[in-house]
Amino acid sequence: MSGCPVISRESHDRWGGMAEREEQEALLEGSGDGDGAGERLRSTGESSGMSAVCDPSRFAHRLVVLLIMCFLGFGSYFCYDNPAALQIQVQRDMKVNTATFMELYAWYSWPNVILCFFGGFLIDRVFGIRLGTIIFSLFVCIGQVIFATGALCNAFWLMEAGRFVFGIGGESLAVAQNTYAVSWFKGKELNLVFGLQLSMSRVGSTVNMNIMGWIYSSIESMIGAAGPKTLGISLMIGAVTCLFSLACALILGYLDKRAEKILNKEQGKTGDVIKLSDVKDFSLSLWLIFLICVCYYVAIFPFIGLGKVFFMGKFQFSSQEASAVNSIVYIISAPLSPVFGFLVDKIGKNVIWVLSAVATTLAAHLILAFTFWTPWLAMSLMGISYSLLACALWPMVAFVVPEHQLGTAYGFMQSIQNLGLGVIAIAAGAIMDTRGYLFLEIFFVACLCGSLIAVVMLYFVDNMTGGDLNLSATKRRKLQRLTAIEKES
Amino acid sequence: MRLARRLLLLCLCQAIACWGDSEPYRREVHLKVVSGPNGSLPNLLHVRAVGHSDAIHYVWGTLGAPTVVLVYSNSNESTLDVNWTKLFSPFPSGAVRIEPAESILYSTAIVFSKIFEYDDGNNTANFSGTSESSFYPAYNLADFVWGDVNKTLNSTALRAEFQGVNASDPAKAFQNGSVSFRVFAFEEGSRDPIAPRLLYTANCSKLEFVITEVAPRGKNSRFALEMVTLERKGRRKSMDSVWSIDDEYTPTIFEMAQLSSELQNDSQVQAFLQWKAVAYGDPSGGRDEAVPCQYHRLQNVSEAWPLPGLAVAFFGGDVREHYSVEALNISFGVADGEFYEKHNYLIWSALLGFGTPPRDSFSTLVIVIMAVALATPIVLLIVGFITMYILKKQRYSDYEPIN
Repeated sequence: MSGCPVISRESHDRWGGMAEREEQEALLEGSGDGDGAGERLRSTGESSGMSAVCDPSRFAHRLVVLLIMCFLGFGSYFCYDNPAALQIQVQRDMKVNTATFMELYAWYSWPNVILCFFGGFLIDRVFGIRLGTIIFSLFVCIGQVIFATGALCNAFWLMEAGRFVFGIGGESLAVAQNTYAVSWFKGKELNLVFGLQLSMSRVGSTVNMNIMGWIYSSIESMIGAAGPKTLGISLMIGAVTCLFSLACALILGYLDKRAEKILNKEQGKTGDVIKLSDVKDFSLSLWLIFLICVCYYVAIFPFIGLGKVFFMGKFQFSSQEASAVNSIVYIISAPLSPVFGFLVDKIGKNVIWVLSAVATTLAAHLILAFTFWTPWLAMSLMGISYSLLACALWPMVAFVVPEHQLGTAYGFMQSIQNLGLGVIAIAAGAIMDTRGYLFLEIFFVACLCGSLIAVVMLYFVDNMTGGDLNLSATKRRKLQRLTAIEKES
Repeated sequence: MRLARRLLLLCLCQAIACWGDSEPYRREVHLKVVSGPNGSLPNLLHVRAVGHSDAIHYVWGTLGAPTVVLVYSNSNESTLDVNWTKLFSPFPSGAVRIEPAESILYSTAIVFSKIFEYDDGNNTANFSGTSESSFYPAYNLADFVWGDVNKTLNSTALRAEFQGVNASDPAKAFQNGSVSFRVFAFEEGSRDPIAPRLLYTANCSKLEFVITEVAPRGKNSRFALEMVTLERKGRRKSMDSVWSIDDEYTPTIFEMAQLSSELQNDSQVQAFLQWKAVAYGDPSGGRDEAVPCQYHRLQNVSEAWPLPGLAVAFFGGDVREHYSVEALNISFGVADGEFYEKHNYLIWSALLGFGTPPRDSFSTLVIVIMAVALATPIVLLIVGFITMYILKKQRYSDYEPIN
């Protein structure tokens, strides 16, 4: 699950953090360059007499762009969790055990262990945002088609290859999507746009979880038998969403080019500068944040990947109900992410938020492991804490790293997150096959405890070194004002 | 907090259990085939598990449908006595006895009467809801020809096997295949090394029901086993499920089914048949070959159903006056699951025993991981706060007064 949802979800958070920081600095410096650009755009736009929808400087046009932008990622979000939605069918039709099944997720993660560092570079220096987006969309499309062909030909290795290609496109596409958002909405509705894209990603995942099983059984009754062929056709239908997203990429490229001509605006850039030599300057706090990140996410995404079968096996849920409860984490975090983002911004004290998020997730896993209480409860808790963690954890990086190293720090964080997810996905599958669900849950609990240890250590390290990770928002603002004054004088 | 307390309690229980286990209860087990006169083939297998002051007898036989009679005696010198002439006569009543008769505190029997086969075209595995027309003629195990149990007897490993084929085999389903009941006896408690890895004690024996290479009569065939139980009137036979959160030994299976007999006014279990709700489609018992199974409610058996010879020989011709006779079906397969045809193999295991049925508990590994994982952050938090407090205090005391 490192996948699209994961990564892009997280890179949204990462971008949210960065955008906010930029805004703050802009305010401190007194002249927001984003706002300036906005003014410029507006004035040029007004001079040409176009209808509001076609005029790139008008809100109505931006709304259309926003819509296309949201659907740009839909295909990859939808297809990323195809295996989870069809786990039983994949394992039965392809005759693979759970560990092998989970390799489908691992193969998505592997390319991203490296690509996290280069996605930004490829967009800024090599392809440009427009071509880059189209290329990454193509990768997603082709990857999904290979994945489906693998099922059609009853060749599991081909399915894995498909996931690998899909992974190459998926993560970088999310970076591209964010770059587009910044380029079109910076200084305007940027936070709202991030929020909407985030919600859209979860809509994609949720729709997938709840619809793929139905598609499969429809195909099954149409061709009269279940088998690799049924699976292949279902996945091919899933690939239609990728084609749709590719179409969005093409339209967006055209609109962006057109806006460039009309408004003389530059092509968007990620601004990521990756210098691997920065790694040696990373502070202990940053490494602890990495540790929290890896240990936390490995207890969420591989779990959701195996969740459906778990709910059917342990809680006797029907297939539909199991899919629904498995997607509740995504459904809850769609509306909650903006709320928590706002709260954490206002209150500060990020470490305490992270601590409560990890502890709540731990409680959710303990409930799943040791009780027969309805999983709706535990999964809702997990959804809430997961949203809270994303809002509190990712912006912390910006507090412990100088700005010029931010790109490297975030790249590194996503890279090890992907590495962790790839390895743990396979391990989780193997544990489930040989030791069962209780042991799997214990394993996730242990991972979360690792995360908890890291949070506690971070709290003390930050406290003793006088860092400002756990300051309240008011204190932070005072501090920032002080530094700003010092800078001026 | 409650969870923590519960875990602590579990740890304690485990510790006590480990300590208690240091001297596991042992029984001296004798497994032998009771030979009949002049080489006849009675296929009578006697398992005698002798304890300090009692004995559990399991008498297996294939006179009629495969039957096991379980007898609990409070004398460790009780023995099996067979009157062969009577046994082979038309009225075998009283031919098989445990002596001395007054030492018998409890007796029951289980008869494996039929194997159902039905066509599950919709792959719903709904045995009780399947229409009559989808059923193939059931295999009546009383009509089977059973191989010589003496040849499969292993009295050191304490196991034996009854292997049977359909005598009249109109569909030629049994050309290469057979149905077997394997019997295992145990001298002391442990855990079975093969799936579903049942936990047993010296008070148990294990039986495995295996269908090998029997040709299914359709592509979508599923099977079910019918068992008939005898229980003295005034006792209660009940069928229930014990749900456990612990699936460590049988991955993904959380249900333990239990057929037990209790005194009407006493909840103490007397005899039990216990199984995990799973069978396997492959001898290796891997998780991917798991075939979940389902039990159906107990039903009274009609008076017309002929009890097998062994049951009549032990309980007497008037058995129905003192005993209630009930049937229980276990169906193998789950909706959307593989059919029998995939491997042409099915194995289901159960424990038959006397006393309290064994219950799984958390393995030491699970408890250790939980304890370490949950305790470390808490310890770290406490140590951290203390260190911080001391450091702060030191810093303040280092300040010199200004004046």
